[in-house]
Amino acid sequence: MEQLINKLQKSFKLSDVKHQRENLTFVTVKKDSALDLVTHCRDYEGFSHFVLLSCVDWIEDGKFQLTYLLNNPSGKFDLGIRTFISRDNASMTSAHLLWRQIATYQRELKEMYGIDFPGSPRVDESFILEGWDEIPPMRREFDTKKYSEDTYFPREGRGSNDPATYMKSKLYPDDEK
Amino acid sequence: MTSLKDILSPFTAWKNVILEPVTIKDPINDRPGAARYRGFHKNDITKCIGCGTCEDICENEAIDMVPVEGIETKDGDSGLRPKIDYGRCCWCALCVDVCTTNSLSMSNEYKWIDTDPDNFRFIPGVDKKSWDDNEAGWKKPEPNYEFYGLKRAEMGELHPEERDHSFIEFIKGYSKQQAQEEADRCVECGICTATCPAHMGIPDYIRAIRNDDIEEGLRVLYETNPLPEICGRICTHKCESVCSIGHKGEPLSIRWLKRYIADQVESEHYKKILETENLVKNGKKVAIIGAGPSGLSAAYYLSLLGYECTIFEKLPEAGGMMRYGIPEYRLPYDQIDKDINYILSLGVEIRYNVNIGSDITLDQLHLDYDAVFAGTGLHLGRSTRIDGSDHENVYQSIELLRKITLGEEIHVAEKIVVIGGGNVAMDITRSLARLQKIKYGKVQTLATSLETEDKMPADREEVVEAREEGAIIDPGWAPQSIEIVDGKVKGLHVTQCLSLFDATGAFNPQCNLDNKKFFEADMVVESIGQGMDLGYISENIKDNLTMGPRGRIQVDKYFQTSLPWLFLGGDIIQGPDVIHGIANGHQAARGIDNYLNAKG
Repeated sequence: MEQLINKLQKSFKLSDVKHQRENLTFVTVKKDSALDLVTHCRDYEGFSHFVLLSCVDWIEDGKFQLTYLLNNPSGKFDLGIRTFISRDNASMTSAHLLWRQIATYQRELKEMYGIDFPGSPRVDESFILEGWDEIPPMRREFDTKKYSEDTYFPREGRGSNDPATYMKSKLYPDDEK
Repeated sequence: MTSLKDILSPFTAWKNVILEPVTIKDPINDRPGAARYRGFHKNDITKCIGCGTCEDICENEAIDMVPVEGIETKDGDSGLRPKIDYGRCCWCALCVDVCTTNSLSMSNEYKWIDTDPDNFRFIPGVDKKSWDDNEAGWKKPEPNYEFYGLKRAEMGELHPEERDHSFIEFIKGYSKQQAQEEADRCVECGICTATCPAHMGIPDYIRAIRNDDIEEGLRVLYETNPLPEICGRICTHKCESVCSIGHKGEPLSIRWLKRYIADQVESEHYKKILETENLVKNGKKVAIIGAGPSGLSAAYYLSLLGYECTIFEKLPEAGGMMRYGIPEYRLPYDQIDKDINYILSLGVEIRYNVNIGSDITLDQLHLDYDAVFAGTGLHLGRSTRIDGSDHENVYQSIELLRKITLGEEIHVAEKIVVIGGGNVAMDITRSLARLQKIKYGKVQTLATSLETEDKMPADREEVVEAREEGAIIDPGWAPQSIEIVDGKVKGLHVTQCLSLFDATGAFNPQCNLDNKKFFEADMVVESIGQGMDLGYISENIKDNLTMGPRGRIQVDKYFQTSLPWLFLGGDIIQGPDVIHGIANGHQAARGIDNYLNAKG
């Protein structure tokens, strides 16, 4: 893997190389070269299998982190290619022409994070959230708790205790504070 | 309200009926989750302290903190345990990652079928499940994966060589950045509140620091403690011993954070912030005996209620043990004055150098005032009464500490042995070490105690700092006799102390007489505890007081004696420490108010 990374370094500006374990390494590249690197890995480095496309919302930095996880079946190792895109009007070049199934991941990311992948088949159709009219729920500004309180009725029999208040009731109930 | 969308939404799913399925048929074999899969929760309930941090972080409100039979609520453990509603859990594992004790984890089991939805609410670790012993599953990755810092924000202090020859304060106090960094570590569980004798709103004032709202912080402090500069320096900080963060890292520096708040506010702003500029008097008068922590606390809270308070103090300045027992390097006099002056600014009067009994009697106070509170403290030193302890060069620590505060010259020998392992013993050890350094240029003070090092009652940092300053601490020895030769103290004979208490819990030290030591010294200081002087209570009053166990005067929860006008609190009832005194004074103020309101 080390050898491969050194080789890729010559053509692509890799940063944050992280060897997670023997058979898994993550690299980060700029948005513009991300799909070039994915394509290169597929066509020339034996990463014929696309595993998944995922996203992390770094709201404090105003960025989404996309990870294309590729597998090299003969070498039995994985490469995660990470790139950061802006959260504002989040958009990324579609990769569905590289692997057909990427369209499904992109459709999911559109629904969950609001990231657009122009040209990706059915990208604007609901994925699992049919009838959803809130902001994409995986964006961190989405208030899950509020949504939960507004949408669902409370379950019968539920009830909790604040530890400090409960301790007072048990250990010093007469204190008048 | 049902909308048109709610009615139509289910039908949109029908369009998928005509699509080609993307799933494949595969017999359901046993397919365990991956090694780090986030499946059903596990909880080691013996490690869990019921801090509720898991509940707080849960975005889905899937966790309830519930009492569990057989788990007792006690210091450091709420007795509650998390109950999880799997109708809401999204398996994110934030609850595991934030857990302060690492008791909560997740198994890799994700399959479970049951026809009763209520079974999907259970208390992990209490309601037994098949996956309880699964080793695989999600655990918080260790180390370096924490939502809060495990290390305390560093406190600036003078190096031993800078402080060992003077009495200047050596703890510098937090800067704003340090205080906020430290406050950031608090998970606001509130477990500490029960352990604090005054039940201070600790998470609330720490939150105020985090929000940089010092005025709010001061208001929270004064709700339960009118001596924050003092307690922020010398409180026994029992709260820190149960801090949930302390299970994996260093507990919050709660005491230093309290000091940070008080240090930030100038005295002249107190009244405005605490809204005490226009207190209305109610025309009733209370006499308070002793200007120590309990007396000052009672005076403060009574003043807020409109009472006119007069404190009768035996010594020339106020503060009691805080001034005359605790050395200046730990608690500078100007900081004591800052707290006390604010109390005085509310109209409290202190009459100094007044001996109750001789200058004015308790009976007279009863006649002149509506109620009396006495917090007279433990000012009499206790002697070991071993051979030689009556020698003139054998002293009581409490007397020496008082003389140091009064500025009187005390005898400082070249070689000194201190008997005692509590905070007062450490105070006199460190004070004498400083005086030796000043007088002789070197320290030859040794402190010994019955208790072994792990059981010494002194705060750990006191022992560490005493050693840093050159004193020797050699615990685990029972004093046998003080050797006197030609009328001069030569040292202390000790034998190894094996245990302090017998099977019934009574104080009954057992020694190994074959293991002896001799500590050479020409001065010995006894610091094995203090006693009370209740001589100011006349016989006719005593006859009407109900006595409790061990000859103590009995008081109720408001510190009211069997004579309704007389309240007693502080070290003579509970303690000895400052924070208990403060809590007693506060509670007694409520009691006096109740009593006088009922009396009309």
